Amino acid sequence: MGEEVGRDVRDDGSGRDDRSGRDDVVVRLEGVRLTYDEGSTWALDDVTLEVQAGERICVLGANGSGKSTLASVICGLLAPDEGTVELMGEMAFDGHSADADAYRHARHHIGLVFQNPDDQIVTTVVADDVAFGPENLGVEPAQIARRVDRELARVAMGDYADADPSRLSGGQQQRIAIAGALAMEPDMLVLDEPGALLDVRGRRGIMHVMDGLSETGTTIVHVTHFMDEALAATRVIVLDHGRIVADGTPDQVLRSPSRLAALGLEAPFVVRLADALDGTGTGGDETSGAGDEAVPRDRDGAYRESGVRLDRVSFSYADGGTRGRALSDVSADIPAGQLVAICGQTGSGKSTLARLVCALGTPDDGRVLVDGIDVTDRGRRMELRGHVGYVMQRPERQLFADTVSADVAYGPTNLGLSDEEVRRRVDEVLDFLGLTELAGRSPFDLSGGQRRLVALAGVLAMGPDVLVLDEPTAGLDPRGRRHLRDIVHALHASGTTILMVTHSMDDVARLADRMLVLDAGRVVADGSPAEVFSHGDELQRIGLGVPDALAWARHLEASAHRGGLELGLGEPITLGGLVAAIDRAGCHDLARRTLVEGGLAWR
Amino acid sequence: MAIGIGFGRYCPGDSPIHRLDPRCKAVCVLALMVTTFAITTAGQLAIAVAGALGLVMATGVPLRRTLDSVRPVLLFILVIGLLDLFFVSTGETLLAAGPVRVTTGGVWTAVLYTCRFAVLVLYGATLLLTTTPTALTDAFESLLSPLARLGLHVHEISMVLSLALRFVPTLADECSAIMDAQAARGSSLANGGPTQRLRAFVAVLMPMFAGALRHASGLSRALDARCYEGGSGRTHYHVLRLGRRDAWFSVATLAYVAVLLALGMVGAGV
Repeated sequence: MGEEVGRDVRDDGSGRDDRSGRDDVVVRLEGVRLTYDEGSTWALDDVTLEVQAGERICVLGANGSGKSTLASVICGLLAPDEGTVELMGEMAFDGHSADADAYRHARHHIGLVFQNPDDQIVTTVVADDVAFGPENLGVEPAQIARRVDRELARVAMGDYADADPSRLSGGQQQRIAIAGALAMEPDMLVLDEPGALLDVRGRRGIMHVMDGLSETGTTIVHVTHFMDEALAATRVIVLDHGRIVADGTPDQVLRSPSRLAALGLEAPFVVRLADALDGTGTGGDETSGAGDEAVPRDRDGAYRESGVRLDRVSFSYADGGTRGRALSDVSADIPAGQLVAICGQTGSGKSTLARLVCALGTPDDGRVLVDGIDVTDRGRRMELRGHVGYVMQRPERQLFADTVSADVAYGPTNLGLSDEEVRRRVDEVLDFLGLTELAGRSPFDLSGGQRRLVALAGVLAMGPDVLVLDEPTAGLDPRGRRHLRDIVHALHASGTTILMVTHSMDDVARLADRMLVLDAGRVVADGSPAEVFSHGDELQRIGLGVPDALAWARHLEASAHRGGLELGLGEPITLGGLVAAIDRAGCHDLARRTLVEGGLAWR
Repeated sequence: MAIGIGFGRYCPGDSPIHRLDPRCKAVCVLALMVTTFAITTAGQLAIAVAGALGLVMATGVPLRRTLDSVRPVLLFILVIGLLDLFFVSTGETLLAAGPVRVTTGGVWTAVLYTCRFAVLVLYGATLLLTTTPTALTDAFESLLSPLARLGLHVHEISMVLSLALRFVPTLADECSAIMDAQAARGSSLANGGPTQRLRAFVAVLMPMFAGALRHASGLSRALDARCYEGGSGRTHYHVLRLGRRDAWFSVATLAYVAVLLALGMVGAGV
């Protein structure tokens, strides 16, 4: 029936005329409250907010702080329970009832891009997907074609118009989603954690697109967990338990590490560095003392050959030969107790390597030995399962049982252990991860971060001495990331051999003994993180970055060099290392001056 | 990692077949496929094989890519063909080894059925390889639009079909990731007693179900955000327009069908 209400609002302009006579406020929320559970908790609580045309707003907050709910309210996808919502100059919710037409009009002017690219791409051809929104708005075909070309070019995906989105990387998919939103020519673009599941290169690409949009005057509301992304905004809003607890420029909001930490956030690197230089703290950079707390384990650990051995391993997917080799001639000896970070950009073979170590695939060539057991040895497969634990990407997706404890018990039960032993292990692991109180809850009722811990518990309960983690911190908020780092640190301290696939160079710097860099299925670097990061240019070439500390050290050296001073700071890869290097070089004052002059957005 | 569902995945190109109106292409290919069942003589078979290979060539998709995309189906057909070889026992005996007897009738049946189905599959593959799912959906919607007057939600049905096509690879990837994760936790669908297998099955099925629900809610948010409000008032990026090329293709198809049927009648008359 929707025909009587002007389909192409852009022409009838009913949504805009009201506004032009007034101010440039695109969104006005007043006293907005919203609950998902009949008022026992408020996802948004007394939120009052005005978004001006042309602003670039960044919304920060821990998981569960109400960020995504706020994004949905701003996009006109969700009406609140109390308060008023004015979108694009029209009163959409007046405190009592929602005006469906006003909401519809507003949605025609607001684009939304959210976290998971899988769910927002609706067709199997890139260009068709970008055209989907304009088609819904009833735009003329010739006009649609122009918009598709223009927006794909804007997000640098013009060469992929005919491609199948499901074959592209997450970063490319998100850029397509952005193009799809922009093709509707919105006045405001809302991005709800668009980079949460992407690698460094993917996130950088999205930030680049946002920079361009912001310059051309598009209003942007960007929800994120990454503080460095907030630095590019004109205004930062912090949410906590559904309330706005900070609202100002990045400089005003992001200057206080202790306050941010209390809100479950992490201050930007330079703020933490300034703090550390002033001697007021480490800025929460290093992992906490969780390392002393060993995982209780019952095995005596007296294997003659332990650890992981990769001997000239090659692997290709049997997929019509289109994908080529996933791994070529990969060799590495990983002694027991080592924590190895496996790095490389999307498609470099990291996850394939992880799967082979877990006996989820058989190498075409070469051998993979885990604690001396060949992964191709079917007779010892179950024994191997007790030695090596595999935590897949976003492992919370593997949960299935009615209760947390039943899910955690699944692995040990499969190993054929006695009921008593299974129960003991489940209790131990839940205690170690601080999940004891959740034992009887359904895993489906928990928060994302808790679910991830439950999935990890299910693997740890099998008592592995080799643990393979595929992007353990992806998609978590700063508090969750930090908690998980502490756990990995503790497992490492207790002697578990760990292979950790990761995109986060700072995690590598903070945690790893060794770093294995893959590019197109080959090992291109293998050594301590300090050694590997000293070849920063090489890493840049294959799409990886270096840790903030090292990048800032180079930044300081360069600015000293401009002043005719040569500093040798070495290769500090953590905040602590950088502070020590600055102390050694005796350039405290220069460092502090550079910090102040550079501002927050030094990169 | 991806399960073998490469069947008929769209292969971008710019051949005359790619550029046909999807409605014309779908109807013609359907006619080509249906008439393979009328093949009974060697002459007909030769024409059909030539027709199918000719069409595959005309798509510009490398022959290997086409064959790769239908390989599992072709293998299946070949196995069925081999069974024919042993179970059809009309005609002269060519070979006898104990209870197994291969006859001329068996050989002909095997060849005929195998080639017939192979031709059918190849025709189907050319349609899928040269037509995007969106174009197929548009064609489906347009061809069935007369039914909309009878109250059938043609647009909505074709939208659902298109979304289903879109999500098959996503769900398949997710399924294999979850099977990997549970296998690493020692679960096995292939070994163990019935209770263990049932548990292993549930451990994959439950997360898949939860995942599907998660996708559904994400998708509904995406459809809302992109102002999808059903079929009315929607325009189409690709305008369907029948052209001279479509006329030629239809004529060629008609000629082929006529020759095939005529040969059949001649064959039956002799």
